[in-house]
Amino acid sequence: MDFITKQKKELSRFERFISSIMLAAENVVKIPLFRCQRCGECILSHTAFICSQRCPKRLRNGPCGGTRENGNCEVYPDRKCVWYRIYKRAGFLRRLNFLYRIEKIHNWNLEKTSAWFNVFTKRIEPPKLFMKKPDEFKESDKI
Amino acid sequence: MSLKNLIKSDRFIVTAELGPPQSANSSVIERKAGYFKGLVHAVNITDNQTAIVRFSSIAAAKILIDSGLEPVIQMTCRDRNRIAIQSDLLGAFGLGIENVLCLTGDYTTSGTQPEARPVYDMDSIQLIASVSRMNRGVLLSGDPIKTPTGFCIGGAANPFAPPFEMRIIRLQKKIAAGAHFIQTQPVFDLEIFKKWMERVNGLGLSKKTAILAGVMPVKSVKALEYMKSQVPGMRIHPSFIKRMAESEDPKAEGVNIAVELIEQIREIPGIRGIHLMPLMWESITPEIIKKSGITIDE
Repeated sequence: MDFITKQKKELSRFERFISSIMLAAENVVKIPLFRCQRCGECILSHTAFICSQRCPKRLRNGPCGGTRENGNCEVYPDRKCVWYRIYKRAGFLRRLNFLYRIEKIHNWNLEKTSAWFNVFTKRIEPPKLFMKKPDEFKESDKI
Repeated sequence: MSLKNLIKSDRFIVTAELGPPQSANSSVIERKAGYFKGLVHAVNITDNQTAIVRFSSIAAAKILIDSGLEPVIQMTCRDRNRIAIQSDLLGAFGLGIENVLCLTGDYTTSGTQPEARPVYDMDSIQLIASVSRMNRGVLLSGDPIKTPTGFCIGGAANPFAPPFEMRIIRLQKKIAAGAHFIQTQPVFDLEIFKKWMERVNGLGLSKKTAILAGVMPVKSVKALEYMKSQVPGMRIHPSFIKRMAESEDPKAEGVNIAVELIEQIREIPGIRGIHLMPLMWESITPEIIKKSGITIDE
């Protein structure tokens, strides 16, 4: 199972310039639309287009055990649990298969960099339109 | 028999939880360990639960080994980044600790030092996957470990918090990442728990991992009400609160409820054992184990 990303190479001056322009453009789109937290390793397409990094624990693999009975967050009782909303919307958008994926450990070197640039330079995986259920969950699915 | 071998066999497993003190006094742990001796298979030691500073889990585990008990350490992602986690795990295995329960950890604001910086470098599923990788002899960096660890890996599951279906997905992910056993949150609502177990059995998950149901004896109705209102993710059936409130001897009633819960949980198919969580009430363990008639003889 591959759950770690590795930083590949140092960026040249030109690449840093392109990256900063892409980051500016990305912020304009993603912050108002998804309240993007700029983790630089975007998994919006896996999480039904709700930014999972708004979770106080910054969980990438689903909710912690502290979701309240009304679906609110353990840390901020007046807010909905981000993962509660992700699950609801993933069901609505028929994107539940994405939630079976074990997400990689966050590469903190990519924090506050442009995810679009990182996709472009193959430092992270591109966003996906569809996903099949991973193989290890298939057998249990039959029953 | 070690927990790893117990899971491979088909015996009923009993584990208990020990909360280390908020002091440097190791004799408290020895005293608490005495309550469990000969009664449970393994003792689970909390890692600064509810984000309150306590005696280190790994150090307490070493004391338990010296007094002849098998410890399970808890490892949370709240206080350590991946470097500290791997280092602590290597050290723990070197001390003879063979079981680790991987948790995300309560948020820092739930404790007495809410100003502290939460770490959360990874989450519990990634932690389980990391420990599996260390068992295979590779660190997260990709460097080989000369003497790899051989941990029996545990995870937690909460059948009582929404979104319920996502809990099953997370359980499946934990098993895929390499969890050997799963502990649940304390059961105070058998209806929901039975439904959850039906789903778990239906997916064949209880064959892939050992599911230990959490049982928490409570001293008073206040403790129950506190958990219902203050501990997020807990579901308590109103009948238990009523019983505790109407009882003349709440401590005895708390024991009765725990024993009844154990009896009913044992009958649910797919359950491999129980995990007792006598929070700050470790001294009651012998009475509960005796009354519920569980033996751990070889």
